[in-house]
Amino acid sequence: MKIRLSPQTLKVLEVFLEEPREWRYGYDMSRVTGLKSGSLYPILMRLAERKLLETEWEANEAGKPPRHLYRLTPDGLQLARESRPQQVQMRQRRTALSGAEG
Amino acid sequence: MSLVRRVAVRWLEAVVRNAPPACREWATGMLRELDYVESDWAALLWALGSTAAISRHWLRVWRTWMRGGNRKEEATMKETAMKVGGLLLGVLMAAVLAVGAYGLMVLSFHLFPALEHQGVPWPAWLIVIVLPETLFVLGIVRLWKTKRPMAIGILLAAVILGTHFAMHIVNHFAG
Repeated sequence: MKIRLSPQTLKVLEVFLEEPREWRYGYDMSRVTGLKSGSLYPILMRLAERKLLETEWEANEAGKPPRHLYRLTPDGLQLARESRPQQVQMRQRRTALSGAEG
Repeated sequence: MSLVRRVAVRWLEAVVRNAPPACREWATGMLRELDYVESDWAALLWALGSTAAISRHWLRVWRTWMRGGNRKEEATMKETAMKVGGLLLGVLMAAVLAVGAYGLMVLSFHLFPALEHQGVPWPAWLIVIVLPETLFVLGIVRLWKTKRPMAIGILLAAVILGTHFAMHIVNHFAG
């Protein structure tokens, strides 16, 4: 199944690639990528639907409700690695834009 | 907890409760993250964004289903349709019962005109309110575990009829 690699999706994949085997929280992903929950979660849901992302509930700490965790599956990692040139291109564009504004 | 954060939490809890089964895990995940959002206004924005995310996902599932989507999504849609159908059926059954009770009142006044002319409203109230509301309660108790949407439909009708009656009583004694 094909997935549309929007700049936001590329950003999400880029963050997951930083530490591929680490589980990540939704809010942390939101902070790192700068995406609001309304943009971030549809991307995560689409990735999960296509079996590119796996989810898990964090082991419960005493008195704290478990949190939802996310990380890329091997297929997801492959897609993220294949999309690296696009990620670099996007980052360069962002840098160029911020340079032009500054 | 500030009012804004309380609103955000209550809002997202309601979204989790009402989210379709396919999205509930995600909605719960978003709710749990709310505890880690530092600012109260950011928490409210998080809750609103999460609602948008769930709605978008649900719309996409619905669109896929309309185009002949996969079996799992179809099952979810069927489940929702069954729930809505059950609820409407409950309302319809309650409405038929209420109309039947009203018919019974008209019939009893026709058969025993003295009831209508003695100026005492109790016989009418007994037939149009006490009788159907009792049957509603019995129906709700009976169906609550097995056919909850239908029971909720009856409950809804019972509340509407009860409210209508309460307003009627207030008017009756005020006038």
